[in-house]
Amino acid sequence: MDSLQLQALLPFIVLASASVVIILLIAARQSHTVIQITGFLMMCLVVLAMWYVRDVLPRAIMPLLVVDGMAAVFTGLIVFCVLIIGLFSFIYFEEREENPKEYYILIFLGTLGAAVLTISRHFISVFIGLELLSISLYALIAYLRNRNNAVEAGMKYLVLAAMSSAFLLFGMALIYMDTGSMDFDGIAKQLQTQGHSPALFVTGIGLMMVAVCFKLALVPFHLWAADVYQGAPVPVTNFIATVSKIGVFAVLVRFAQAVQLQSYHFAVIIISFVAIVSMVGGNLLAIKQQNIKRLLAYSSIAHLGYLLVAFLPGNAAGIEAGMFYLFAYSITLLAAFGIVTMLSGRQADADQLEAYRGLYWRNPLMGAILTVALLSLAGIPLTAGFIGKFAVLNAGVQQQLWLPVIVLVITSVIGLYYYLRIISTLFAETQVIFPKEKSLHPLFVAGTYGALLVLLILLLGAGIFPSAVIDGIKNFLCQGFRIINF
Amino acid sequence: MNKLVYLVPLFPLAGFLINGLLRKSLSKGIIGFIGSAAILASFVVSLVLFFQVKGSGAAIPVEPLFTFINADTFKIDFAFQVDQLSSLFLLIITGVGFLIHVYSAAYMHEEPEQHVGRYFAYLNLFVFSMLLLVMGANYVIMFIGWEGVGLCSYLLIGYWFKNNDYNYAAKKAFIMNRIGDLGFLLAVFWLLSKLGTVSFNEVFPQVSRLTPTDITGITVLLFVGAMGKSAQIPLYTWLPDAMAGPTPVSALIHAATMVTAGIYMVARSNALYSLSEVAQHLVAIVGIATALLSATIAIKQNDIKKVLAYSTVSQLGYMFLGLGVGAYTGAVFHVMTHAFFKALLFLGAGSVIHAMHHEQDIRNMGGLKKHLPATHWTFLLACIAISGIPPFSGFFSKDEILAAAYAHSPVYWVLGVIGAAMTAFYMFRLYATTFLGQFRGTHEQEHHLHESPKAMTIPLIILAVLSVIGGMVGVPEVLGGHHELHAFLAPVLTTETHHEISHSTEYALMGISVAVAAVAIFIAVSKYSKKPELGEPAGFGKVLADKWYIDELYNNIIVKPLGALAGVLKNVVEKSGIDGAVNGVGRFVKYSARQLRLLQSGQVGGYILFMVLSIVVLFLLFWNQAMITQFLNKIF
Repeated sequence: MDSLQLQALLPFIVLASASVVIILLIAARQSHTVIQITGFLMMCLVVLAMWYVRDVLPRAIMPLLVVDGMAAVFTGLIVFCVLIIGLFSFIYFEEREENPKEYYILIFLGTLGAAVLTISRHFISVFIGLELLSISLYALIAYLRNRNNAVEAGMKYLVLAAMSSAFLLFGMALIYMDTGSMDFDGIAKQLQTQGHSPALFVTGIGLMMVAVCFKLALVPFHLWAADVYQGAPVPVTNFIATVSKIGVFAVLVRFAQAVQLQSYHFAVIIISFVAIVSMVGGNLLAIKQQNIKRLLAYSSIAHLGYLLVAFLPGNAAGIEAGMFYLFAYSITLLAAFGIVTMLSGRQADADQLEAYRGLYWRNPLMGAILTVALLSLAGIPLTAGFIGKFAVLNAGVQQQLWLPVIVLVITSVIGLYYYLRIISTLFAETQVIFPKEKSLHPLFVAGTYGALLVLLILLLGAGIFPSAVIDGIKNFLCQGFRIINF
Repeated sequence: MNKLVYLVPLFPLAGFLINGLLRKSLSKGIIGFIGSAAILASFVVSLVLFFQVKGSGAAIPVEPLFTFINADTFKIDFAFQVDQLSSLFLLIITGVGFLIHVYSAAYMHEEPEQHVGRYFAYLNLFVFSMLLLVMGANYVIMFIGWEGVGLCSYLLIGYWFKNNDYNYAAKKAFIMNRIGDLGFLLAVFWLLSKLGTVSFNEVFPQVSRLTPTDITGITVLLFVGAMGKSAQIPLYTWLPDAMAGPTPVSALIHAATMVTAGIYMVARSNALYSLSEVAQHLVAIVGIATALLSATIAIKQNDIKKVLAYSTVSQLGYMFLGLGVGAYTGAVFHVMTHAFFKALLFLGAGSVIHAMHHEQDIRNMGGLKKHLPATHWTFLLACIAISGIPPFSGFFSKDEILAAAYAHSPVYWVLGVIGAAMTAFYMFRLYATTFLGQFRGTHEQEHHLHESPKAMTIPLIILAVLSVIGGMVGVPEVLGGHHELHAFLAPVLTTETHHEISHSTEYALMGISVAVAAVAIFIAVSKYSKKPELGEPAGFGKVLADKWYIDELYNNIIVKPLGALAGVLKNVVEKSGIDGAVNGVGRFVKYSARQLRLLQSGQVGGYILFMVLSIVVLFLLFWNQAMITQFLNKIF
C-alpha cells in the first residue's frame, strides 16, 4: 500500500480511531460532555481528512476497496448525517439515566461500517462493512434497555438481520460458484465471457437482493422497520433511517454499475416490483398511523421505493437523481427527527402525534422547521424534496418506465394526505399546557438549534437553487466512477 | 431615451399606493389632495410630452423597462410608446381625470374617512391602468391596462358594496368585459402565432405577411374586445348599469377612461383595419346600430344618469361608425370633444343629485335653473355641444364623422342624422325636464336646494369652456380652418378618403344635420318645459323605457340556461359522479391501509414467515419473467 492509497483511506482510518479514542476517554472516566465534544471534533477531523482525499481520487486499494468520486459523495453525506446526529444525541442522552458514553463508540463503529460499504468493490469488504454496521445497530437499538420496546426491537432486528445476512452470504456464494470471483469487476468480466445469464447467477442476485431490500426496509421485507424505529432511541432511529440506508444504497449502485445489473431483465422486474409495492405499501401503512416514529418509518419505506425508481434506469441521469434524492431525503429526515429529539422528555420519546398539537404556537421555530421537513417529504415545491422527486420522475420518464412513474405520482398524493394531517396538527389550537423541561447546557441547546437552522437552510436552499448541489454531484461523479449507459 | 415618460404612470401608481396603504391614518382632505395632485402631476408631464411630440413631429423614443416575457420563439418587452395618438390620449385622460378628481374630493366629503381613501386609491389605479393601456408599446402591455381598467371599474361600480344591486351591476360590468377580453386575447395569440411579435412597431410594418383571413380574424376578434370595453351591441348593457357607482366615477368611466379604450385600440390598429373590408363594415354597422338603439332608449329614461349613460353608448356608436368608415381622426376627435362635454354632463348631473339629496328621477326635479345657476348654464352648454350645434365642439367632430360616412355610403349618413336628431331631442328633454318649468320635488328638498361648492363648480366651468371651444382644433377646410388635429395625427393614422366629396355637398350635409338637430331641440324644449312626462310610459314608449327588453332577453337565453346547466352539474354530476368517485377512492385507500396494517403484528415469527413467502413469490416472479413480460407489454 503506497502513501497515496493511505492518504485516500485517511478519513476511514480517522473514523476507526475515533471509536478507540472514545474507549480510552471512557477508561479515563471522562464526563459525557468531554466525550461528546471529542466525538464532535473527531468527526470534524474526518471532514478535514476528506478534504485531503479530494486530490487523490480515484484510488483503488486492490482488491477490496476503491475510493472514488461516488464514494466521496456518499461518505460525505454519511459523515454529515453523523455530525448532526451526534449533536442531537447529547441533548437526548443527557436527559436519560443510562450511561450514554458507550453509545458514541457504537455510533462511530456503525458509521465506519456504512462508510466502508461506500468504498467496497469486493464481496468480502461488503460483508465486513455490513456486519460492522448491523452489529453496532443491534446494540444501539436496544441501548436504553429499561425502555418498553427497546430490547424487543433490538431482538427483532437481530433475528431478522441475521436471516437476511444468511441470504446475502448464500447469494454471494452462488455467484462465486458461477463466476469464480468475488471481485465486482472480476464477476463482470466473467459474465461477459459467458455471454448469457445462468441460473446460478440469477438465483444469487435474487438472494442478495433480498438482503439489500431488507436493509433498505423495502416491501415485502419491511416488517421490522416500524417496530425498530419505534423502539430505538430517536438518534439511533435517525441513524438507521439515514446512514445505514446511504451505505447500502451506495454498494447497490456500485455493484449494479459493475455487472450492469439493469441490463438483466429479471433484475429490472424484481426491482420494479419491489419499488412499486414499497411505494404503495409504505404510503398506505402510514395513513392511519398516530405514532410519529412509526409514521416516519413507513414514510421512509415509501421514499426508498421512490429512490429505486431512480435506480431503475441505471444511467447517469438516474444515478444523479438518486444521489440528489438521497441527499434531500437525508437532510429532511435529520430535520424531522431532530425536532422529535428536541421534544422528547425524560420518560418517553415524543412519538405520539398528540404531543405535536399546536407546536407552532408554542415554539414557532420548531413548528416551522418540522413543517418544512414534512413539506419536503411530501415533495412540495421550494423544498429539496420536490427537486429530488422531480429528478427521479425525470429519470424515470426518460427511460419510459411508465408503470413505476405512475405509481410514484399516485402514491405521492396519498403521502400528501398524512403529511398534511401532521402539519394541520402543528397549527391546531391547543389547551394543554406542557410543563417546562429543565434547561440543558445552553451551549448544546444553541448547537442543536444551530444544526436545525442549517438543515432548514439546506432544505430550502436545495429546493430553490438545486443546481449547486446537482453540479457538485456531477462534478464528483466524473472523478473515476465509470457510468455505463444502456 | 426620455425618462419623463415613466413619470406619467408613476404618479397615479404612487397615489394609489399611498392612499391605499395609509387610508386609515390620513384625513379626508389629505387623501383628496394626494389623489388629485398625483393626476395633476401626470397631466403636467403629459403636457410636456405632448409639446415634445408636437415639436419634433415624431414619437418619443423610450427604452423598454424590462423583458416581460421571454420565450424561445418570442420576447415581449415591458415597453412604453409615446407618439401623437397616445400623447393626445394622455392629455385627455389626465386632464379630464384631474378635474374629476378635484370634483370628487368635494362630492365624497360625506363618506367615512377610510372609504374615501379606498375611493381615491381605486380612482388613481383606474387612471394608472388607463395610462398603461394607451402608453403600452405592444398589445400585451395594452392588455394589462385593459384588464386593469376592467378591474377598477368593477371595484368602483361596486363602491357602495353594501347595496346588492350595485354589486350585481359591478359583476355585470366585469363579466361583460371579460367576454370582450377573450376576443382581445385570442387576437393577440393569433398575432403572436403568425408574426411572432405583438409590438406595434413590428406588427404594423409586417401586415403584408398576413393573409386576408388572418387580418379579418384578428381585427374582428379585437373588435369583440372593443365591444366589451366600449359598450357596443351586443355587450353594451353593462354601461347603463355602471352608474351604480358614485357619479364622478361614471364621469371617469364615460369620459376620460375605460370606454374610450376600445376606440383607442381600433385607432391604434388602423393599419390592420384598413386592410379588412369585412371588419370595417362590421365596425361601422355595429356602431351605427348601437348609436340608434341606445338613442331610442335614452328618449324614455327618467333617471338623469341613465339618460346620460345611454347617450354615452350612442356617442360611442358614432365613434365606431367613424372608425368603420375610415375616419380615424374624426373618431379620435370625437373622443376628445365627447370627453369634455360628457364629463361635464355627468359632473353637472352629480351636482344636481348632490343638491337634490340623492334624488335621480328627473320627474321629481324641474325648475332648478334658478337654484343652481352655475350647474344650469354649464349643463346647457354641454347639451348644445352634444347636439352638434355650431360652433360648439360636438358639431365639428360629429360632422367629420358624418361627412366620412356620407362618402362611404349615404345610408350611414341618413341613419347618422336620425341618430343626431334623437340625441338633440333626448338631451333637451333631459335639460327641459330638469331645469325648466316648476319644481316638483318635496318641500324639504326645495328648502335645502343649494349650488354646489366651488371645488365642484370650477371643474364644471373649465369643462364648459373646453366643450365650447374644444372643436377649434379640428375646423375643417370648408369652414376655412386647417384641421390642426388631422395634421398632428397624420403620421400615425392612415390617410382617410372622405375628402372626395365636394364642398357644396359638404355645406349641404352640415346644413341638414344642424337644421334637424335644431328642430329636435325646439320640439323637445317646447314640449317638456311646460308639461313634462310624469306618469309611467305606455305603449311603445314602455318598450323603450324598458330598453327593448334586451336585459330580459339575455337573461332568458344565456343566464338562465347556464344557471340550469350549472345546477345539474352541481347537484347531479358533482355530487354523485365526482364526489362519489373521489370519496370512493379515499375510502378504498383507507380500507387497504387497514388491511395492510394487519401484517404488522409485532410477532417476529410472523415476520419471518412473511419474508419467506415473499422470497418465494419473488423467485416465482423472475423465473416466469417471460410470461410477465408478455403481460406488461400488453398493458403498455
